[in-house]
Amino acid sequence: MRLLIVGFGFIGRELVKALRDKMSFLRSIDRDFKVVGIVDSKGYLYNGKGIDIDDLNKITRLSEHRDYKLGGTALDLLGQNLCDIMVEATPTNIKDGEPGLTHIRLALSRGIHVITPNKGPLVLAFRELMNLAERNECALLYEGAVAGAIPVFSLVRECLQGDKIVRLSGILNGTTNYILSRMFFEEISFEIALKEAQEKGIAERDPSYDIDGIDAACKLVILANALMGREARLNDVRIVGIRGITQEAISLAKRANYAIKLIGTIDRGLEVAPKLVPINHPICVHGTLNAIHIETDLAREITLVGYGAGKETISAILNDLITVLRKRGMSKFSSPKIV
Amino acid sequence: MTLALADKPGQLLRALEPIAKNGGNIISIIHERDKPVEGYVPVSLVVDFPSRQNFRNAINELKNLGIAVIKSEEVVEKVRLTFILIGITDLKKIIESRIEGVEIIGLEILTPSLNKVSIKLDVETHAEAVNILVDHLRRLAEDQNALLIAPIYA
Repeated sequence: MRLLIVGFGFIGRELVKALRDKMSFLRSIDRDFKVVGIVDSKGYLYNGKGIDIDDLNKITRLSEHRDYKLGGTALDLLGQNLCDIMVEATPTNIKDGEPGLTHIRLALSRGIHVITPNKGPLVLAFRELMNLAERNECALLYEGAVAGAIPVFSLVRECLQGDKIVRLSGILNGTTNYILSRMFFEEISFEIALKEAQEKGIAERDPSYDIDGIDAACKLVILANALMGREARLNDVRIVGIRGITQEAISLAKRANYAIKLIGTIDRGLEVAPKLVPINHPICVHGTLNAIHIETDLAREITLVGYGAGKETISAILNDLITVLRKRGMSKFSSPKIV
Repeated sequence: MTLALADKPGQLLRALEPIAKNGGNIISIIHERDKPVEGYVPVSLVVDFPSRQNFRNAINELKNLGIAVIKSEEVVEKVRLTFILIGITDLKKIIESRIEGVEIIGLEILTPSLNKVSIKLDVETHAEAVNILVDHLRRLAEDQNALLIAPIYA
């Protein structure tokens, strides 16, 4: 199968590195697997016979490569079905989902499998994209979009097929978990903890997306729609961020054996808010870790803990890729039915 | 509850039916055969019902079957919850709020000079009143531009 990578930022670059390291393993599943194109914001690299990934080691910008076409876009390549799988890793945009949404719509409508960690399109148009994938008998996989390396979607799809999820909750944002954990363990103020996070690159210069709970809310919407059959929108989430949390509040909680964590919950409604979590609750993890707590009718309670962002997301993308490569013989790639 | 069952075969089975039908989960049964009273055997049961209504329905059905209920006692499961409020300016409103079945059992206040007031509130209530309590505290906090931190799953 022929892979197109759209987006050559942090994720795109790390993905190429991982593909280089795992190429022989991937070729053992699909002998003809090759990367045929990589698209960045200014153009693309394309070679129908396969791009030499090792070559990419030597260049810092795609435009330095001899096969680079300035001004070309992903739409040119998708429109001509020059690939079988697309990894869509452009920056997430929750206002209109672009450019990812257009890329994904076009790819799916042409029967091209889509793998994406890009939250924007999934938050804005989940049901539409899933229906498009189903109609065109191709895959839409998004393990990397929520809690990076934690394989929550794969777990539910493969291992909880007979279960009905009754409630789902989680620590879905590593930045806010880092800040709250530092406040908890080092007894520092919110402002100092935030500054520390920014210096370490764990928080952005404008951290509002994370600390105001928007990022967690986006992930909650995707989880609700994908795993619990909801038709949720971002507006449906009651959001309270961590800006107002004081060191005193954290101390009062700590003395009573609670930690304050930013928790996303899907129950009757959707909510992201700081909550008091008992220290010994399995969801009570620290640092940049994420945790997802699934309550079902049969398995009762399962907690997944892992890293939510950064390089670890590549694990999820690669797993989705291998899933598609393994199933390429199947004529129909259908999405799991919700119990 | 303590029932008086006629000392005949099948009486216990008859009594268990309305209990089971109303979702009762038997915790213990003490069948005091050595203490018969006028041909009736006292049987003490501890049963867990999903709600007060279920319990009352079971008692009514037992009475309709002609089974004497000598004693019945409702022990409502109490729940202890901790809340934290940040930025409350009118503490009186919290202390004076009265919700049926809710008791404030602890209050801790930190008033740092340069920061907002943080309050830890410990309450005891029964399971059915939790939602009402959370809504009440949430509205109270909103009215004062304060932040309510509730326990997970409350």
